[in-house]
Amino acid sequence: MSSEKILSLIDLHVNADNTPILKGISIEFEKNRVYAIVGPNGSGKSTIAKAIMGFPDYKVTRGDILYKGESIINKTITERARMGIALAFQNPPVIKGVKLDKFICRICRDCRRISDNRSGRHLGEIDKCTPDLTEGFKKLLIENLKNRDINDGFSGGEIRRSELFQVISLKPEVMILDEPDSGLDYDSLKLVGRTLKEIRNSGKTTMIIITHSRYILEYLEADKVFIIEKGKKVFDGDKTILPQLEELGYKEFLNRNKLR
Amino acid sequence: MKNNKELAIKAKDKKSPIGEDIDLDVFKSEDRKASSKRSMEQIAAEERRLMENVGVNPDEKKTAGLYVQIDQSKVFYNSLNQKAEILPIKDAIKKYEWLKDYYWNAVNVDTDKYTSAVELELHNGYFIRAGEGQKIREPVQACLMLKTGNIKQNIHNIIIVEENAELHLVTGCVSPSILEPALHLGITEFYIKKNAKLTFTMIHRWGKRTLVRPRSAAIVEEGGVFINNYIILSDVGNLQTYPTVYLKGENSKAELYTVIYGTGKSIYDVGGRIILEAEGTKGKVVSRTIGADESIIYARGQLIGKHSGCRAHLECNGLLLSDKSRLTAIPELEAETTGVELSHEATIGKIEQEQLTYLMSRGLSEEEANSLIVRGFMTINVPDLPATLQKTVDDAIKLTKLTGF
Repeated sequence: MSSEKILSLIDLHVNADNTPILKGISIEFEKNRVYAIVGPNGSGKSTIAKAIMGFPDYKVTRGDILYKGESIINKTITERARMGIALAFQNPPVIKGVKLDKFICRICRDCRRISDNRSGRHLGEIDKCTPDLTEGFKKLLIENLKNRDINDGFSGGEIRRSELFQVISLKPEVMILDEPDSGLDYDSLKLVGRTLKEIRNSGKTTMIIITHSRYILEYLEADKVFIIEKGKKVFDGDKTILPQLEELGYKEFLNRNKLR
Repeated sequence: MKNNKELAIKAKDKKSPIGEDIDLDVFKSEDRKASSKRSMEQIAAEERRLMENVGVNPDEKKTAGLYVQIDQSKVFYNSLNQKAEILPIKDAIKKYEWLKDYYWNAVNVDTDKYTSAVELELHNGYFIRAGEGQKIREPVQACLMLKTGNIKQNIHNIIIVEENAELHLVTGCVSPSILEPALHLGITEFYIKKNAKLTFTMIHRWGKRTLVRPRSAAIVEEGGVFINNYIILSDVGNLQTYPTVYLKGENSKAELYTVIYGTGKSIYDVGGRIILEAEGTKGKVVSRTIGADESIIYARGQLIGKHSGCRAHLECNGLLLSDKSRLTAIPELEAETTGVELSHEATIGKIEQEQLTYLMSRGLSEEEANSLIVRGFMTINVPDLPATLQKTVDDAIKLTKLTGF
């Protein structure tokens, strides 16, 4: 594995609704490694994901985000997505009248490449990616969602798996997963864990996982674990801290392991 | 027996309670009358192009028959596989004495000045009938075209689906978009007999200044099914219609779907009313309205439950794309006895930033994301619609020039 940098947050300050949420975060992400971002509720974890993806309501007020050495803070979400950054949403909106299988077919990277060469626009012809699609739905046990409107009436577990499938279809270089394990039962948790592990093993993707689950992180063998508190990075270590963190909780753990 | 002509004369100046009043005297009649023809070959290329815009293709192989009327008197018709009977209404009245029992039966001749005008000056229209037990899966196509400016087109259609029969009819109404003001008045009476089934898909594409006042009603007998799709994705001067379905027979069923994409300065006032008069009747009124540009849209719906054990649902969803557009949803429920189950849901919203962000994060441009949301919103999957007709509907939606992005 190389240790080439792919994504850097440099003294990142982000406001949402004019309220400062991130107050100077610096993190280097290397290619094809697995990172965990943990921290108490409301610490700003999800804001990191949204700022990297470029959500319009999250304004970078100071600092920078570099992707492959290039600043992306003035790029649109679409541009960032097409550069290879993907985010699995925690609470994705419903898109009425758009079937999940057609949508995945439309966004999947291979289809997009075909269409960009031809007309520049792809309308989502299912037959072009049928084999992959069918396999993906089957593997994640969400065949029942194929023909449903995106996120319409999906259960928590179904949303996690549908998001994961979409993000995988994009074949991103940086994959950000915002609580990919919340609301999952044991079986689904295993399934998601195994799928993420396959991505790790294929060695083509940097994964940034926002989670509370020790299980997922240990199973995935996260290379690094960052703790975020009140909009700042207050600790970085590796997965060996997880048992102690779970036992003590954030407050006590941070009291004993002062970074500052 | 009632005298239609007399009633019509009395209603000559009777205004409609809804919709802007139209001065009918402004519109002229044709100077030269044409005759009815059975061959489609004489339809001009330009006319064919207009027809295709509303899903009517005279060369289509998988069709059970055609009726095309251009302006007032130019008519082409052909029952291709002889299963469905297709005639100009003027010929049908002469041929069948019994048709008088259907003529002005579902729709009252003295409803308003528009029904009156059609009785007093009929230009033609179609009579389409599926005989007893005839199940015709291939759609019958009809096109009513208004091509000449400043004229009126007064149409009276009658559709009869006899016992145990099945019929699928698509009707496209079309004008060139730049046409001078013109008036389309269309009466349509549907009769769905015992255990019969009719799907009626109507696609409108009018000129910016066309005035449109359809007046239609359906009578559904025991076990009958009536499914109505109405789609208008173009400009119009001013359109007002409020079709009514009478579920008279036990266990009869009606579903009315409407999709309106409002553009320009057009005014659309479209409703759907189901009157549930018998045990076990079921109804559904669904509308999706999209307001772009400076369009004004009224989406009306009314369910009237008159018999216990009937059930119906009304759904009006609107999507506002422009600050200058106005959407109004007017759902009404009326129960006249106990044991009636009626419900409604009405929403008006806009495209949420959250939805755009989500789709853009999957690599779609903002414009692609917008149009995907709008097209998705317009998507209605109509149960029991033959695949070819569902495709016609889907294609019409794909053809919509989405404005405002």
